[in-house]
Order: sequence, then C-alpha cells, then structure tokens
Amino acid sequence: MHYQVDSWGYYMPARSMGSDPMERVAKLASESAVVIFSLSSCCMCHAVKRLFCGLGVNPTVYELDQDPRGKDMETALMRLLGNSQAVPVVFIGGKLIGAMDRVMASHINGTLVPLLKEAGALWL
Amino acid sequence: MNVPTGLIQQEGSAFGFGELEEAIVLQGLNIRNDEAKAPLFGTGRPAATLEMFPSWPMRFKQTPRGSSKSGGGSTDSGSAVNTISSKTENQLEPESPISTKNTAPLDHQQEMMASDVSRTGQEKRRGSTSEKQLDAKTLRRLAQNREAARKSRLRKKAYVQQLESSRIKLSQIEQDLQRSRSQGFFLGGCAGALGNISSGAAIFDMAYSRWLEDDQRHMSELRTGLNAHLSDSDLRIIVDTYISHYDEIFRLKVVAAKADAFHLITGMWTTPAERCFLWMGGFRPSELIKMLISQLDPLTEQQVMGIYSLQHSSQQAEEALTQGLEQLQQSLTDTIAGGPIIDGMQQMAVAIGKLANLEGFVRQADNLRQQTLHQLSRILTVRQAARCFLMIGEYYGRLRALSSLWTSRPRESMMSDEHSCQTTTDLQMVQPSQNHFSEF
Repeated sequence: MHYQVDSWGYYMPARSMGSDPMERVAKLASESAVVIFSLSSCCMCHAVKRLFCGLGVNPTVYELDQDPRGKDMETALMRLLGNSQAVPVVFIGGKLIGAMDRVMASHINGTLVPLLKEAGALWL
Repeated sequence: MNVPTGLIQQEGSAFGFGELEEAIVLQGLNIRNDEAKAPLFGTGRPAATLEMFPSWPMRFKQTPRGSSKSGGGSTDSGSAVNTISSKTENQLEPESPISTKNTAPLDHQQEMMASDVSRTGQEKRRGSTSEKQLDAKTLRRLAQNREAARKSRLRKKAYVQQLESSRIKLSQIEQDLQRSRSQGFFLGGCAGALGNISSGAAIFDMAYSRWLEDDQRHMSELRTGLNAHLSDSDLRIIVDTYISHYDEIFRLKVVAAKADAFHLITGMWTTPAERCFLWMGGFRPSELIKMLISQLDPLTEQQVMGIYSLQHSSQQAEEALTQGLEQLQQSLTDTIAGGPIIDGMQQMAVAIGKLANLEGFVRQADNLRQQTLHQLSRILTVRQAARCFLMIGEYYGRLRALSSLWTSRPRESMMSDEHSCQTTTDLQMVQPSQNHFSEF
C-alpha cells in the first residue's frame, strides 16, 4: 500500500487548481491498478484495505482528509455513489467497482480476483 | 336411621357434618317420640357427635325417588357413615331390633322423605313434632352448623374454580413462553418490564418471529418438493422462493441495524446457542459452508472447487470486517479511556459518533451472508440447492431447540418448581448478555 500526496498544484500553477473534483478522482483512479479513496479515521476503509492486503494486492490509497481538495472530492464521490458515505470507494483498472458492499459481493461471486489479475494487480 | 334423601341428592359429595349431625339428632328424636321407650342410647339425651357412629350395623335400602312406601326389603348390610356421601339414592336403615318391631316409624320416615324436596322449608315441618322437644340452643347450633357447612361449600367451590382458571392461564403463559423461547426473544411486554429493549429492536423481534414461522412453511415446501421428485424447473421456483425469503430477513436487518445495531450485534434477537456462534450479528458464512461441505455430496470437481473457493473468499472477507471492527474498538477505547477528561461531553459525543459506525459493520456482515447464500445456489444444482437450504434450516432449527432444552433444564440449586426456575434463568441470561457490546 502506498499513500499519494498531491503536490502538482504547487509545481504547475498553469494546471487549473479549480479543476473538477470528479475529473481529479477519475484521473487518480486511472493511474494505478487498484485505487482506494479513504479517510484515515474511517474503520470501514481500514477493513477494505485489509481485504486487499490479504489478497496480496498493493493498492494506492488516497486519504481525503489529508488532501487539500479532499472535501470536494468527497462530495463528488458521494454524488457518484448516490450515497451519504463517500468512502471507502474502490477503482480497479480505472473502473469504478464501488463501496464496500460491492467489493465484497464481487469477491464472493468470484469476479474480483479476475479483475485484479486483468488490471495487473495480482499474479498467479 | 334414615337420612333425608333430599340432603344426599342435592349436595352429592359435598356432604357436611352439619347435615349429618342434624339428621342424626332429628332421627334420634323421631324414634324416641314414636317409641316412647327407653332411650336408644342408654344415657338419655345423647351427645350429637356420638351419634355419628351408631352402635348397631346399618343396612342399605333402595328407595325410588319420591315413593312413599317401599316395603321392607332391605338388600344388604353395609357400613354406616362413609357411604352417606355416595350419590346414589340409597338410604341407611338401621337393622335395629326397634325398627323391625315397628313399621310405623318406617312409614312415618318414608313419608318424610317423600315429601322432603327442599331442605330449608321441609326441615322445619319435618321437625315440627319434635321441635318443641329441642331447646333453642340446639336449634341455634344446628342452624349455625348448616350455615357454616353451606359457606364452606361455597368457598370450596369458588376456590376450585379459581384453581381451574389459574391452571388454564398458566398453561397458556407457558405456551407463549415456550414459543418465545424457541424463537429466542422476549416479547415486548416482558422485556419492556426489564426496560432493556428499544422499539426498533422489539419491532425487529416480532418481524423475525414471523419470519421463522414462514421459514417452517418454506422448509416443508422444500421437503415435499424434493420427495415428490418435481421437475427441475418446478423445484427451481421453490428454491428461488426460499432465497427471496432469506433476502427478506436481510432487508429487515438493514432497518433494524439502523434502529438498534447493538440489538443485532449482541444477538439478543437469537437464542443462546445461536448467540454462542454469533459473528457480527449473525451466522459466520465460512462456518456455515464448513458445516454443509460434508453433507453436500456428491459434488462435481468444479463444484468442489467452487465451494472451497467460496469458503476461502468468505473467510478473507470476514477477516477484513473483523479487523475493521477491531479498529473501531480501539478508536473507541482511545476516545473514552485514560488521560485527563478535558471535555467529558465532547468526548462522549465523539464516542457516540464512532459507535454509529457499528451499523455499517453489521450491514456489511449481513451483506456477506446474503452474497454467500446466493453464490451457493449458483454453484449447486437445483436439487442440491434445495437439499442445502433444507439442511441450513434444519441446522438452525436444532440449534434453537438446543437453546430451549438448555433453558428448561432442571437446576438442583433451585428450591422452587421448574417453571419459576425458567423465568429466573431467563432473567439471568438477559442481564449478563447486555454487557456483550463491551466486548465487540
């Protein structure tokens, strides 16, 4: 698991700081095989992280409470999921998988592991 | 000695000494009057109580009701006093030398008996000739005895009626309790008295008990479906209905988790034995699969792999949720334990906020359970799925029965009877269990 801290806005003022948070989410999601948006205080986020680690996956985690634009991204994710809870939310291979319930359903019905393999997050 | 038949016929088994004494006294007086001979009992006026056990043997004589002269034929001799309480129309007739000599007193007595329909009015007439012989004191005593005997009879009748209705009520309560216990919860009223069940929990408990009744119905459908060797498509309908039935309880649990997550997570909605195996407010999916694996033979190789894969995935998901819940615990402990309490209310508010996450974990656990059951039905054939769900239903049914037996087992330490034992035990079980949430 590795944590990404966004410092681009600092070095590249030309890049719009007010870019659409949803765009930002999509962009970040596409940059790694497995991306988890999380809050450091959230226990369910901890659970989903443990799940992927248990599978042998190394997900990229963005703690939105530690991101200057985290609040906006949270709102955007809430809208995306149609849910009052923005996190945890998982992207695999740039595609939205969903919140914890979708991730677990996917694991139980056996579709999660093939997705992970397809995205290159798992070998074997 | 003849006892007025009216007395016997009216009261049946509730014969009291009041009447006997009176009858004996009056009878003795009648004979004395008619005889004008030496007193029968030698000592002059006999003590009333001694006359209950006359010195000569008594005879039974059959007398049809209302007939005045039945002749002399006595049948057999019998014992005296203790036959008075029979409901037959037998009369006692002393086989005394005196009565055989005199038919007149017999007739006189039979006249008395024939005309004696109601006690109260006739008694005075019957005793009219001899009343003057009785002094007021005796009369008063006799009247008092009559009254006392009557009251005693009424009291006894009322008591017996009360006992009967209490018995019926008790058996009804026992039935209710048994039903509730087998379903593993206390109905709102009883638990309300203990003050430890929320309305959301009570609502869920009622819905769950209905669900259990439906479960029985569905299971018998599965059974008959399997035994009837239905076509696969017909059986599929039954199996899908059963899966929907399970989907329903998971929907109900979503609502209950929002209202009272503690109620679900402490297992107060289930029976003690089920509670023993409780994981995050319900059954542990991997344990259920482990239980089923050995009974699901024969399985194809692909099915075997599918089932083991399901068990493995379930275990991984369970582990992840458990670790998430442990972090919640840790976070909660950090909030409320140790250190100086700068702002107690603030601390509590934060703690409450964290506790609210409990709902999420119970929901995810139920989601896992639901997904597992769905996946099982996908891996198995229709017939296998039908048998599988039947096995699950029967397993939990047995667990619930085990709980019932456990709670109703006799305790040597209890002095009172078993029923009060059960109530006490149930109370004991409720109280400690309320602390379970502190271990979550």
